[in-house]
Amino acid sequence: MQRTTAAPVLRSTIDPGDEQAARNAESHRSLVADLNSQLATARLGGPERSRARHVERGKMLPRDRVDSLVDPGSPFLELSPLAAHGLYDGDAPGAGMITGVGRVSGRECVIVANDATVKGGTYYPMTVKKHLRAQEVALHNRLPCVYLVDSGGAFLPRQDEVFPDREHFGRIFYNQATMSGLGIPQIAAVLGSCTAGGAYVPAMSDEAVIVKNQGTIFLGGPPLVKAATGEVVTAEELGGGDLHSKVSGVTDHLANDDADALRRVRAIVATLGPRVAPPWERRPTIEPVVDPSELYGAVPTDSKVPYDVREVIARIVDGSEFGEFKSEYGTTLVTGFAHIHGHPVGIIANNGILFSESALKGAHFIELCDQRGIPLVFLQNISGFMVGAAYEAGGIAKNGAKLVTAVASTRVPKLTVVIGGSFGAGNYAMCGRAYSPRFLFMWPNARISVMGGEQAAMVLGSVGNTDEDAIRAQYESQGHPYYSTARLWDDGVIDPADTRTVLGLSLSVAANAPLADKAFGVFRM
Amino acid sequence: MFSTVLVANRGEIAVRVIRTLRSLGIRSVAVYSDADAGAPHVVAADVAVRLGPAAASESYLSIEKVIEAAKATGAEAIHPGYGFLSENTAFAAACEKAGITFVGPPASAIEAMGDKIRAKQTVAKAGVPVVPGSDGSGLSDEELGLAVEQVGYPVLLKPSAGGGGKGMVEVHRADDLAEAIAGARRVARGSFGDDTLLVERLVTTPRHIEIQVLADAHGGVIHLGERECSLQRRHQKIVEEAPSPLLTPEQREAMGRAACDAARSCGYEGAGTVEFIVGSDRPDEFFFMEMNTRLQVEHPVTEEVTGLDLVELQLRVAAGEPLPLTQADVALRGHAIEVRVYAEDPAAGFLPTGGRVLAWEPPTTVRVDAGIAEGGTVGSDYDPMLAKVIAHGADRDEAIRRLDAALGRTVLLGLGSNIGFLRALLADPDVRAGNLDTGLVGRKLDELTAQDLPSDVLGAATGVALLDLEPAGDLVDPFDIPGGWRLGEDAWTTRTLVVSGHDPVEVRTRGRAANAELLIGEERVRTSTAVSGTVSHSQGGTTRGYATARAQDGTLWIARDGQAWAVREQEALDASAQADGAGGPVLSPMPGTVTVVEVTEGQQVTAGQRLVVVEAMKMEHVLTAPVDGTVRELRARSGGTVAKDAVLLIVEGEADGS
Repeated sequence: MQRTTAAPVLRSTIDPGDEQAARNAESHRSLVADLNSQLATARLGGPERSRARHVERGKMLPRDRVDSLVDPGSPFLELSPLAAHGLYDGDAPGAGMITGVGRVSGRECVIVANDATVKGGTYYPMTVKKHLRAQEVALHNRLPCVYLVDSGGAFLPRQDEVFPDREHFGRIFYNQATMSGLGIPQIAAVLGSCTAGGAYVPAMSDEAVIVKNQGTIFLGGPPLVKAATGEVVTAEELGGGDLHSKVSGVTDHLANDDADALRRVRAIVATLGPRVAPPWERRPTIEPVVDPSELYGAVPTDSKVPYDVREVIARIVDGSEFGEFKSEYGTTLVTGFAHIHGHPVGIIANNGILFSESALKGAHFIELCDQRGIPLVFLQNISGFMVGAAYEAGGIAKNGAKLVTAVASTRVPKLTVVIGGSFGAGNYAMCGRAYSPRFLFMWPNARISVMGGEQAAMVLGSVGNTDEDAIRAQYESQGHPYYSTARLWDDGVIDPADTRTVLGLSLSVAANAPLADKAFGVFRM
Repeated sequence: MFSTVLVANRGEIAVRVIRTLRSLGIRSVAVYSDADAGAPHVVAADVAVRLGPAAASESYLSIEKVIEAAKATGAEAIHPGYGFLSENTAFAAACEKAGITFVGPPASAIEAMGDKIRAKQTVAKAGVPVVPGSDGSGLSDEELGLAVEQVGYPVLLKPSAGGGGKGMVEVHRADDLAEAIAGARRVARGSFGDDTLLVERLVTTPRHIEIQVLADAHGGVIHLGERECSLQRRHQKIVEEAPSPLLTPEQREAMGRAACDAARSCGYEGAGTVEFIVGSDRPDEFFFMEMNTRLQVEHPVTEEVTGLDLVELQLRVAAGEPLPLTQADVALRGHAIEVRVYAEDPAAGFLPTGGRVLAWEPPTTVRVDAGIAEGGTVGSDYDPMLAKVIAHGADRDEAIRRLDAALGRTVLLGLGSNIGFLRALLADPDVRAGNLDTGLVGRKLDELTAQDLPSDVLGAATGVALLDLEPAGDLVDPFDIPGGWRLGEDAWTTRTLVVSGHDPVEVRTRGRAANAELLIGEERVRTSTAVSGTVSHSQGGTTRGYATARAQDGTLWIARDGQAWAVREQEALDASAQADGAGGPVLSPMPGTVTVVEVTEGQQVTAGQRLVVVEAMKMEHVLTAPVDGTVRELRARSGGTVAKDAVLLIVEGEADGS
């Protein structure tokens, strides 16, 4: 493909050998080491005893199932691997579920895999949230859904938090029906229990596979049946693979074992046909010329320490090429065009607090990307909008509103990476979770809260709350990325060094959905 | 000299004869069956004529069609090669009738030597020593039994009409005689259309030494020294060499003289071979075995040590010219050794293989007479010999060294061959020392056919699989990038590799082709695989080159050092296709023809009981019951053609019945 005009190439101004860089790097390395250790623990799933029993039954562990389902060697963009981190007494690593986007038979699919080694794969509140978030990813990006079912249904002790509300268990099946209606394929493989409400996952799927002598589907299990009617049946008789594939017709394919079932799912996905052409033109990928391995050294982990965000951009975009827009105006917001893994992107990155000019510049830039059909990448490191009489009088509220309107109503896919602070209205203007970015990831050094702990202590102190230390501690704990990711405020905490890969994969995912029509709200002038 | 000669053969010998025709400026005519359209001998010839369908009886063995082709193309002579019509007196007669010269001896000589009983009588009268055995032809089973009693065990049953050891059966005990006779008759009937058998004493630890003779129509008879062909399996020659490491010049002269006498005794003309048997323990004694009235497969070793072109001499004699040399002109120079490359699987009892030739790179440092080409198919219609590789050296050691090195550089992908077995044989200390006998291969069969599955081959096969994952083209989607990227830690990818004759091996990989971690079973290695023409694979500090090709069914053929492995990735089983319980289907081990069905539908059978006989490439394979049980779904029928792995019947185990 012809590369017509090359954008200017960014150069780094930092010296990777200097003391500050070494301190930065050391700090990042220690954060990433901790992240990796948390991920490694969560990756194991349930307790050793449960895993051993699972494998003894001839079943594959859920992560092995996912790895066998996706195309050999292909990447898997896992979502919220640290869901439920620190919740439920640590009983539910990963919230008992693996979700993510992987390529199956050449098609990117959302994969939802229960982990039966975690409390029998039952649904905690965060499990429900994780399942629904995966379905939302499928809906927004029009990805086929593959459910690897091995779950005992709702976690009964917390039924009030998982059963009745709009965004609870029932929404899973609502989503299956409505997505199927939109032409988004729903495929299930029953690799274990599929009890009560869970029985609807395969039943609501377009096509379902079950493993014989292993998978079971029933509305009420043998104990419930005995209690209700006195009938004594085995689980296999009541809802085994033979019954559902030969008699009831609840499932369509009878597999020998996990591997066979996954092979059949791959065969089903292979019949779905090719994905749609990307809504934007891609070009050949080139690696950044500014060494991405120096990212750790270039970025301070303390969000209070200022640095030029172009040091980050230079290390994640193709060829470090960045065509900056309005570089002399509203300089606390950096905007410009680049490519990531061949996908065109408009980058919006904080370089200080937001002023009216920065907000106007951002809104203008979003309009450009919207007009040109270029996806947006937000690099979020924002303590907020400027405050003060002069700024209020200058209409910072309405100018901020213009940016928020543009962010909320643009038709192009948005990706957000919180690379530093995410505080207050800055979170909104920079496409926080509430603005439905296709994906939102956080760096381990990020912090997220309505305001900084220091400011909160002062504000609350002024209304009579005197335990400022407790307030600071609360904000530090609740602002931590692990706290955020445990509650699915984001799609995962990532190693900064993985940012380019994660964004590239996210853009490829986003390219599965066509662009909607333009529909901006009223910009207050 | 002739201006046009038809070659009534196929494969390497047809190609080889055409080569000499071309060098003599003679127009060559090839003939072919439907199975050989586009085969190398067809391409090599100036003109090619289709004979008929694949079955030899309707093509290469059809006298009428061959004569017709010769007439149609104005051929003045027919070179029959070896096998097919080369020793067929009716064919020689038909040539004569049609006024076409048969490049070979007179029909009377073929007849005299073609019948082994008469041949012995004829040469014995001329004073040539013979092995004790039955005389008289057309013996009934009872008469054969009596003859065996007279000769004494061990004995050899030989088809009277055959040649080259095909259909011969050793019998060591009276108990085995009846079944051996029945089997030998069946093969003889199928292969030669004549089930007459004769019997002779089996000389134990014998060496097979044969003398090449040449005779012209003017009374000239000379010999070109001997070839030793003691390395055989089931009477099929594998390695042939000249001169024999056993013979002294005196013995050579004595045997040469006897061979010339044998040739004279039947009024021989042209190139012929007189086969003798020599006991290893008594090298001074030799017995006449038979005379082959044609060019031998192994004639190149004689050409290499004499510097003569035997096909050219055949043509000159056939054209009525006197031999251009006398016995005194014959000088033997150095040592030559030949191996026969067969489409067979030594590790699976030498079952014929066959398939599409995905790659064929013969060595360039030695003589290769080959009849295959890349893209061609080796089927079950004809003899499974693919090529001969012939090396010459100043002495025997050098010749063997060159031959072994050449085999190591030979690449044949797409079908199993015996190259690894040949190299093992050439490395055998007794072979190196020249301590040969016709039982050597049989005794050492297990060690010679043991095929190992080296870890680097599995690693390279995996490396090729990783290379296949590397994205091609300008636009690379991040999901195209292999290496198993994951948050936190990249994933391992597990493959189960299956190589026939070995247990499946689980290979786990992480990373990309250029830099990968591999777990091959328990062994952990770092590898790097790249491709530019051939595959280069580094594993544990050693880099080697591999030839690879992927078959249509996804099987990866990978070769190094002359050996090839077919590596397949195991797929999960399909539940509905798998039979429940023990027992199960009995599959045809190769493409072939069902000759005998010994059971009927519903019949109770016991484990090991004979069920079906499948014949392919003139070898019989007896399929037996895997378990005690009942015959179900009997699909095999006598005379039917079956594909490899075709289900012949199902033995339902006793536990299965429900």
